[in-house]
Amino acid sequence: MALDDARLDAWAGEVHAVLGENGAGKTTLLSALAGLVHPDQGTLRIDGREVRLTTPRRAWHEGIGMVHQHFALVDAMTVLDNLALGRRRGGGFRLDRPGLAREARELGLRVGLDVPLDAPVGSLGVGERQRVEILKVLLRDPSVLVLDEPTAVLAPAEVDGLLELIRRLALEGRAVLLVAHKLDEVLAVAHRVTVLRRGRTVLEAPREEVDEGILARAMVGAEPEPLARRPGPPSDRPPVVRLRGVRVGQRLRGVDLEVRAGEIVGIAGVEGNGQRELARVLAGRRDPHEGSVHGPDDPAFIPQDRRREGLVEGFSLTENLALGLHDDPTWRRGPWLRWSALRARTADVMDTFGIRAQGPRARASSLSGGNQQRLVVARELQGRPRLIVAENPTRGLDVAGAAFVHRTLLDRVAGDDPAAVVLLSTDLDEVLALADRVLVVVRGRLHPVPPERQTREGVGALMLSGGGVGP
Amino acid sequence: MADAAVLTAFLEASVRLGVPLALAALGETLSERSGVINIGLEGSIIAGALGGALGALATGSAGVGVVAGAAAGLAVALVFALFVVLLNTDQIITGTAVTLAGLGFTAVVYQSRFGTTGTALTLPTLDPWPVPLLADLPGVGTALFAQAPTTYLAYLLAPLLWWLLFRTEWGLEIRAAGEDPDAAAAAGVRVRTLRVVTCLAAGALAGVAGAHLALAHTGTFSEGMSAGKGFIAIAVVVLGRWNPLLVLMAALFFGAASALQFALQTLGFDVGYQLFLAFPYVLTLLALAGWVGRARAPAALALPWPRDGA
Repeated sequence: MALDDARLDAWAGEVHAVLGENGAGKTTLLSALAGLVHPDQGTLRIDGREVRLTTPRRAWHEGIGMVHQHFALVDAMTVLDNLALGRRRGGGFRLDRPGLAREARELGLRVGLDVPLDAPVGSLGVGERQRVEILKVLLRDPSVLVLDEPTAVLAPAEVDGLLELIRRLALEGRAVLLVAHKLDEVLAVAHRVTVLRRGRTVLEAPREEVDEGILARAMVGAEPEPLARRPGPPSDRPPVVRLRGVRVGQRLRGVDLEVRAGEIVGIAGVEGNGQRELARVLAGRRDPHEGSVHGPDDPAFIPQDRRREGLVEGFSLTENLALGLHDDPTWRRGPWLRWSALRARTADVMDTFGIRAQGPRARASSLSGGNQQRLVVARELQGRPRLIVAENPTRGLDVAGAAFVHRTLLDRVAGDDPAAVVLLSTDLDEVLALADRVLVVVRGRLHPVPPERQTREGVGALMLSGGGVGP
Repeated sequence: MADAAVLTAFLEASVRLGVPLALAALGETLSERSGVINIGLEGSIIAGALGGALGALATGSAGVGVVAGAAAGLAVALVFALFVVLLNTDQIITGTAVTLAGLGFTAVVYQSRFGTTGTALTLPTLDPWPVPLLADLPGVGTALFAQAPTTYLAYLLAPLLWWLLFRTEWGLEIRAAGEDPDAAAAAGVRVRTLRVVTCLAAGALAGVAGAHLALAHTGTFSEGMSAGKGFIAIAVVVLGRWNPLLVLMAALFFGAASALQFALQTLGFDVGYQLFLAFPYVLTLLALAGWVGRARAPAALALPWPRDGA
């Protein structure tokens, strides 16, 4: 029951934003448009004509193109082959790679999407993959363009570019449907807004008639508290983790870093500058090729890709939580795990962390993105870790979900026995709001940001320029 | 002079033994590229052998036998494809069941038709058909180009399938279905249809391989005459790194390894013949360890799809 009486109207030439909390049914609604899920009830009309979209193929034929939140690209193939896939321009036989490359380059130039056509998709960063995905959809010249949380993975400069692109695509006469989680982005670009709550359409209005407050209230039923920036006195506690001269291949070089208990160190950077490797070295998930790492044995790690790294999707909520606890004698009796106790605990955790699911026995794959993230956070933070490494922890989360994660991290650095937190994020606002100290990572090197430059503009410039003030 | 004769006989035997493997492995390459591992290949081969025998016997024509063999292999693969692709059953278990059923069913049909004690069946054979000019090449001419016509099918299929897989839109879709069926489906590819088609093609080719065993090698059918060739063909696909051209090479290499036992015996090496029988398998293990190491199977190979049923 992901959707119940949801309604959506999209007009050619308009950007229509779809808002809602995680689990409100946004992705489900749009998946119905892409032919991926089939509604039990209700109708879908295109230009007044009722259609049934039983498969993605049918959706393509009706001119609906979807840019998926979890990109639908084949990693092992090149960008160009991904663009060619399923189009049958040569009737099945002739695979006209040069012709398609020319077409892709022309279109890319026209709309401002630059992608490396010959690179395997698996070697690209998230931002690049998204550009590929958008280009793939645009090449089919859809009349309805659906984007599911496209800004979630991008750096600020990239977001502006994307929003600009979205506007232009609408001006060309397309109907653009946009799911976004940041209200300011929505307000900047949308002509019309629909808000879903628990599978129902609770608000539909032109942009002029709404503001952030109205939208936030419609989404959650009440206005969330704004995040207060924490004053950051320099911590005098001993370092919890210390990196010296760390190198990982060509992706991370000469990194020195100390993080003390009670502080949040924010690491900003454009996707693909070595954050991934740094996060894994800090979390003890991989060894560097050079340099030393001193840190706690069992740090908490909140990875960016919760579906691939954070959870076992085929496991129940209880089983996923038990993965972090199976060594703990509390939950064992001899060689056996105490499942009923673990289930009761899972129910508690669901309550504390606000995880919306059918119950402790529900599979992790049945949760929406935000609820999966809460589950990962819940598992990693059980048992009071001394070091917490969070990699884009609010990627794809809505206002309430992001606020929850932020509050949780802030809680853990307060009090008498605080943890040390490293927050690696491409979301500059997040880093600035939470961190006591900010560093930027550019092409594998870390550069501290002086306090006077810890502003959106200052850090943003460093991220793009290559860290001119670095040591 | 004697050595040259031995060498020619060795090459001829290599090709003769390698061709059925090549036919079956080329089909399997196609289905594995689309994400389906068909352990039931052995069932298709034995069905193809019996179908080929019955077809040839009924019409007196080995050519009709080959077509009948292809049909029998395809029928077995149809059962496999229905279960695996449409009902989403486990590929390994279903394939094993299909192989065992194929071996049992052909034995039953054979015994009910020819009796349990019957004298050896004599069938019209696929006679060698020398390719003009090429067969006259010195050294390798007769070995490579004076073989049963099914041999040339394997030669032609390898480049054809390579072209299909890597140079056509269908090939792109097949490979995408084997790497990431979700992404392929989202791009509008009919994953299940493709997989059924590649399975059927693999079954038909395995059937031709079986007919070749019955009609080109021996001119007879015996129970269990496929003798594990379906499984070896699956190893050949790995050895050939899922690339039809390399798969043909790998099949011929395997044929050569099998032929070596005869050559060595002819040359008078007096070692237990069981040791020679084991030789191809030892070579395979070595080759798998050394050469395939870094090759990667299609990422979605043997995984049920769609994952959540439906």
